[in-house]
Amino acid sequence: MAIEIALPRPVAAGRFTRLGGVFRALVRRPDGLIGLAILVVFTVLAIAPDLFVGPLQTAVTGREAGYPRLSPPTAGLPLGTDELRRDVVNLTVHGARVSMIIGLLATIITVLVGAVVGIVSGFAGGRVDGVLMRITDFFLVIPTFVLALILTPIMRDVLGSGSREILGIRMTLVVIVIVIGVTSWSSTARIIRSQTLSLKERAFVDRARVIGAGSGHIMRRHILPNVINLIVANTVLVFAGAVLTETTLSFVGLGDPAQPTWGQRLEAARSIGAPGLGAWWYFVPPGVCIVLVVFAFTLVGSALDDLLNPKRRQRR
Amino acid sequence: MTDLLRLENLSVHFPIRGGLLDAILRRGRGVIRAVDGIDLSIRRGEVLALVGESGSGKTTTGRVVVKLTRQTGGRVLFDGEDVTGLWGVRALRTYRRRVQIIFQDPYETLNPKQTIRDFVAEPIDVNGIAASPADREQRVTRALESAGLRPAADFAGRYPHELSGGQRQRVVIAGALVMDPELVVADEPVSMLDVSIRTELLRLMLDLREERGLTYLFITHDLSLAWVLADRIAVMYLGKIMEIGPAEQVIRDPHNPYTKALVSVAPTTTPPSPGARPKRTILAGETPDAAHIPAGCRFNPRCPLVFDRCLVEEPPLFDVGGGQSAACWLVEGGRSLPMLPVTVGVPPAVIEDQEGQTSSLTTTSPGSNTLKSAHPIAAPTNGAVR
Amino acid sequence: MTAPVAPARARKLPKQADPAAPLLVVEGLKTYFSLESGVVHAVDGVSFRLDHGEALGIAGESGCGKTTTALSLIRLLPSNGRIEAGSIRLYGIDLVPKSAEALRRYRWREISIVFQGAMNALNPVHRLRDQIAEPIVERLGLDLREARKRASDLLELVGIPRKRGNAYPHELSGGMRQRAMIAMALACDPAIVIGDEPTTALDVMVQAQILELLERLRAQLGLSLILITHDLSVIAETCDRVLIMYAGMVAEEGPVREVFARPRHPYTQKLLAAFPNIQADRRTLDVIPGSPPDLRHPPPGCRFAPRCPFAMPVCTEVVPPEVTFADGVRVACHLYPEGSAGTPITVPPEPIGAGRS
Repeated sequence: MAIEIALPRPVAAGRFTRLGGVFRALVRRPDGLIGLAILVVFTVLAIAPDLFVGPLQTAVTGREAGYPRLSPPTAGLPLGTDELRRDVVNLTVHGARVSMIIGLLATIITVLVGAVVGIVSGFAGGRVDGVLMRITDFFLVIPTFVLALILTPIMRDVLGSGSREILGIRMTLVVIVIVIGVTSWSSTARIIRSQTLSLKERAFVDRARVIGAGSGHIMRRHILPNVINLIVANTVLVFAGAVLTETTLSFVGLGDPAQPTWGQRLEAARSIGAPGLGAWWYFVPPGVCIVLVVFAFTLVGSALDDLLNPKRRQRR
Repeated sequence: MTDLLRLENLSVHFPIRGGLLDAILRRGRGVIRAVDGIDLSIRRGEVLALVGESGSGKTTTGRVVVKLTRQTGGRVLFDGEDVTGLWGVRALRTYRRRVQIIFQDPYETLNPKQTIRDFVAEPIDVNGIAASPADREQRVTRALESAGLRPAADFAGRYPHELSGGQRQRVVIAGALVMDPELVVADEPVSMLDVSIRTELLRLMLDLREERGLTYLFITHDLSLAWVLADRIAVMYLGKIMEIGPAEQVIRDPHNPYTKALVSVAPTTTPPSPGARPKRTILAGETPDAAHIPAGCRFNPRCPLVFDRCLVEEPPLFDVGGGQSAACWLVEGGRSLPMLPVTVGVPPAVIEDQEGQTSSLTTTSPGSNTLKSAHPIAAPTNGAVR
Repeated sequence: MTAPVAPARARKLPKQADPAAPLLVVEGLKTYFSLESGVVHAVDGVSFRLDHGEALGIAGESGCGKTTTALSLIRLLPSNGRIEAGSIRLYGIDLVPKSAEALRRYRWREISIVFQGAMNALNPVHRLRDQIAEPIVERLGLDLREARKRASDLLELVGIPRKRGNAYPHELSGGMRQRAMIAMALACDPAIVIGDEPTTALDVMVQAQILELLERLRAQLGLSLILITHDLSVIAETCDRVLIMYAGMVAEEGPVREVFARPRHPYTQKLLAAFPNIQADRRTLDVIPGSPPDLRHPPPGCRFAPRCPFAMPVCTEVVPPEVTFADGVRVACHLYPEGSAGTPITVPPEPIGAGRS
């Protein structure tokens, strides 16, 4: 029997099977490269802020250091100080940490819930799909912010606020994480469900059925690997959204004043009237950071979406 | 009983989903009668070709046999046992080991994220067949090599996009055979492959049949291919079997006008000689959709031999001898089919699409290159038959 | 009964045309594609000729270069493709050196194309008649009302009732849409229509209808056709001449009757034998072992040598020259050198199927 010569075919976009391939393609694009670079910088700052600016300053350390109150930038204090004599650079860098952690945790919840609901709903179809989608639509339609406004005090009551901690994270932050998760999962679910619906009709799913695979097996081995790309691209954008939502919540006073998140810093700026006082060094740095991080996420997310889009098939 | 598979009065109807208004008013929007009452039996070891154009119901029939699609009516018997009501992953475990399918599109049947090894091993994994990882690997190797992919190690670790179309289809075949089935449904297994690759794949399938005593339900639109490969041919049209019998007989001596027309237009690589062009019966229009099946014999709008009974009553399959039967009133009582008429110089109605089927016929008579049944705009350049 | 469709212009030849020249002469055409992994020699020295009113079939499997050849004629190549060498003379005018702008004059007005899978190329949000009228307005400069009328005439010409001109593409069957694409290709009354796999994906009965339509159009409009297909039966049915391509080069070329009845090149023989033939009572299919070569690195010498049952040492070293014989058939094979009698040497069959004795 004749054996055909195996023709190695070039790996086409949309068919990355190894993570390294994705990464390499990402950095080759200008948008991927810039976005990734910004994120790397902030991630490094978030992981070990102490290395760069020392420990988080408090009102006490500020006074001890002899910093002036609310002073504009000088040579020694490139971003000036706040009303508690704290170095703004220090606060901003530490803010990166909390903002990113909140973003990360919230994103995990969002993506997990959204993906599971999306896959199960899309694959099961029928009544299950109907019920799950009505629930999803409910959360989708309610304005995020309004829902957050309502949920936060409720969750605080339920979980208790103050200095209680879960796994080393303050309760107030846990509340924010949960609120963001609850309000964001529905759009992820919708996106994943769409992809699942089209995957369900593909011949390889039929084949899996014919050999006797059950629904669980098919969802795990056939649907999930083919939506993971979409999930990854979506995750990046969800992360950006989480950071923004936290910012907004903190800004209206639903955050934790003890934490130097960027949103919290903006809230503090508002409450002491920094804009009116002309103390731009107070609120511009956290604002710029938020914009940069969200922008970077968006760049990477859309680059990934482009690269991993299953519609980009190699022409036969 | 030597019938490995029997389909009795099988029908598959798909409801057409209406919109919100229809749901409120509780009205249906019709039914697609993809398979509309067929009887079919396949003997152990034979190759039965199910031939039809698009919309004939042949693929749906294949899907019912492998239990991918649920039948609406009728019975399915496998090796004497009634499996009609058998559904559910656990209940179908044994059935699925014995009945498998080779799909049409080698580019779609393989999950792009799955290695070849995992694809071929999946039936084993899902059904817990392997005694150990070594056993699993051995079965995969054996399956790949019996599908002509040697050495198996060269292919097992690859991903589908690294393989050519022909290689992928071999992988599909390996995956279908790894559980040692008895009946294999082959749904257009080579139609998406290059011509020069097709024959090799078909040779593989025929060799496997001999080695393993396989039985094939071979679904195809290509009547000539069915003639080459099959023991028996069943011709389907709009969900019903029009004719069935030994392959050579059905081709040489068709007893149903549709079959006869199909045979006459079967593509051939013999160029027509100028003076002796063979008569082709080119039917007008296209197969209507299965939601609007005509009353009486479903072929009557396009049939060149239609008469009044055809419009009211649907003919059953009549035995015409030699194991061949055809569904046509003209062959009732074992009569032979009359010659298909040749129309000369009379322009028929303009070709309509599905909604407006007209019973018009176009034939090219010997010795003429221009279409006699000209289209109103194209006046025939010469009306006389040379 | 309406009058036959009059050509919109009485086939006025382009200014530079040479009325004595044959309709189309292609010589030594080479078209290459640049990929990341190398340069693909998709068409590597192809020559042929098309006379007025003739139908030429270009046959071969996927990857042989037949579609690329067709696209090169009207220069609709993807951005990584380029015509490397050769000439394409339409009425004696070489199209290869012309700029893209100059080439527009010829595209659709002299040569048009019905693409593969064309029935899916119709814009779903425009009515049929408007889509066909579009090129008429653009290229012939008729006003919309006249263009619509002509579009309706064309629809009727291809067998679609006039009133269906109002329909949207999704309301039509596959066969009707294919007819509509043919009507569109005829919009500017071209001299040559290229059909790229015109009947693939159609039912056999619809295929017969379309082929009959093409024959009728040839007779009525004096059309010249180039049909690109892997399906030899389409060529047998409709074409006068056939060009068999393999791996970017010409294997055999000549009158259909000669080439199909007495094929010389081993590939032609194998290809013909790979189709079952009810009429000839051949109930077998022949196997061609191996697969086509990688055109980034074509093998030296004859490209079919690795799969050829008659391969000789010279075949893997020297590219076989094209030799034309008395019956008008041109072959590129070392079995048929210049000066030989040209008697076909039959390839030993390797049949499968019920007809095996």
